[in-house]
Amino acid sequence: MSHAGNSRTPELPSRGASEKKQLFKELEFHQVRKASEHTAGDAYMVQKDAENNRLLAVLSDGLGSGVKANILANMTARMAIRFAETDTDFVHYAKVIMNALPVCQVRRIAYSTFTVVDCRPDGSVQIVEQDNPPFILLRNGEPAEIPFQEYSSEQGDYRKLRVYRFVAEPEDRIIFFSDGVTEAGMGSAPYPLGWRTQGCSAFVRGMVADNPEISARILAEQVVRAALQKEPDRKAHDDISCGVLYFRTPRQTLLASGPPFSEKKDREYADIIRSFPGTKIISGGTSADIVARELNLEITTDLFRFRRSNLPPISKMEGMDLVTEGILTLTEVLNLLQGKNPPIQPNAATLLKDQLINSDEIHILVGTKINQAHQDPNLPMELEIRRSLMRRIATTLQEDYFKEVRLEFI
Amino acid sequence: MKKVTVSICTGTTCYLMGGAHLLTINERLDPSTLDSVEFKGAHCLGLCSNESNGKPPFVKVNEHLVSDATLNKVLDAIRKELKEIQHVS
Repeated sequence: MSHAGNSRTPELPSRGASEKKQLFKELEFHQVRKASEHTAGDAYMVQKDAENNRLLAVLSDGLGSGVKANILANMTARMAIRFAETDTDFVHYAKVIMNALPVCQVRRIAYSTFTVVDCRPDGSVQIVEQDNPPFILLRNGEPAEIPFQEYSSEQGDYRKLRVYRFVAEPEDRIIFFSDGVTEAGMGSAPYPLGWRTQGCSAFVRGMVADNPEISARILAEQVVRAALQKEPDRKAHDDISCGVLYFRTPRQTLLASGPPFSEKKDREYADIIRSFPGTKIISGGTSADIVARELNLEITTDLFRFRRSNLPPISKMEGMDLVTEGILTLTEVLNLLQGKNPPIQPNAATLLKDQLINSDEIHILVGTKINQAHQDPNLPMELEIRRSLMRRIATTLQEDYFKEVRLEFI
Repeated sequence: MKKVTVSICTGTTCYLMGGAHLLTINERLDPSTLDSVEFKGAHCLGLCSNESNGKPPFVKVNEHLVSDATLNKVLDAIRKELKEIQHVS
C-alpha cells in the first residue's frame, strides 16, 4: 500500500476554528428498508468520544438487499468506525477498506459503499466517501461546493474514494444518504433518473428556508419521507437512509425538580432557575411553590386540559416554560425516553420529553429533600426516590440521546 | 353573584390517592350550578406533609378543607357553600 496519495493532502483547516464557541452537533438518522425485506441493507453507526468530543458517523450500503446486504454494510461500517477511532490517518485506512473489499464478479459493482463523517471538537470535518452519493453541505441555507481529493481503487475498477475537508460554520448542515434517496422513483414518468442529488438538494434547501431552525431529526425524517413518496406505490425499492448533522449554537434547558435539602438554599435554588439563560422547566409541586414564593410569582393550574392523560395537569408560571407535577410525570418521561410508545394525545410527560429531546445541553437540578407523604404505605403505587429517577433520566439522555447533561444536587 | 371556589390539589400524593378521579367533577355538577362554581387547579396545596390535615386527596371548597376527598364529598361541600351564599343574598 502506498502513501503517495497523502502527499497531496488538502489544506488543513484553519487554526481560527478552535477559538470559536463550541458548536453543538446534532446528529440524527432516519431509514426505511426495502419494502420486500425484513432487514435493512444500509448500516449506520455512530461513535461519540466523550473524552475528546469527537463525533464519528458511518453510513454504509451493502450490495443487494436484506440479510446479505446487512452483513456487508455492517461489516464495512464497523471496520470504518474501528479504524477511524484509532485517531490515525483515516484516509489510509479507507483505502485499506476499499482495496480489501472485492467487487462483485457478476455485477461488477462494489460489495459495499460508505460515507464516514468525522468531526473534531475544533469544528474541522473530514468526510470520506466511497461511491455513496455525494453529501450535501447546506451553508447559510444554500448548498455549498466543497473541494475534494480523489483516490482510485488499486484493483483497477471504477471505485473512487473522495476525501473532503472543511471547517464547520454555525448553522451548517451536512446531509448524507444512501443511493435509495437519490434513486427514489427511478423509471417513473416524473423522475426517469430518480430523485437525484439535485432533487434532494433542492428539497433540503426548501425545508431549511421554510424553517431555519429545523432539527436534524426532522430533516432526516423528511428527506426519507420525500424519497419514499417518489417511489411507485410508495414502496421502497431500495433501503432509503439519510443522516443529518447539524452544527448549531447549543439549545439549553434547565430541568429543576424537588425542594432543596435545606430550606436555607431555597433562595439560591430560585435564583439558579431565574437566571438560567435557556428554557426553564420545573417538575414538582413543592419545587414550583418554592420558586413562586421566592420570586413572588403566581402559579395557575390548567385543571381540565390533560385530564384523560393519567398524569396530573400542567401549570403556568411567568418566566417558566413548563411547570409540571414531579415524580409521576418524570417517571413517564423516563419511560418515553426509553422507547415506550407515546399516547395519542399529548400530556405533561410528552411535552417535557419533547423539550428535552429538542435541547442540546440539559442542566438537571435536583432538590434532594424527601417528601414524607410519598413514603405513605397507603399509596397505590411505589414512588421512586427522586434522586435515583433523575440520575436515570440523565444517563438515558446522555447515552441514548447524546445530550450534554449536567446533574446537580442541591 | 359570588362564586364558590373549588381548588383541587393535583400534587403527586393527592393525584395518586384519588385526585385524578376528581377531575371529572365539572361533568358531575348540575349544569345550572356550574356557573356559580369556579374551579381552580392547585399544583400542590402542601397539605399532605402534615398528618393533622387528614388524608389526601385534598380539595378546598372556599375556605373549607375536604380531606380524603371523593366526588360525593366535594359535591356535598359545594352544595353546602352554595346554600350559604343563597341565604346571604
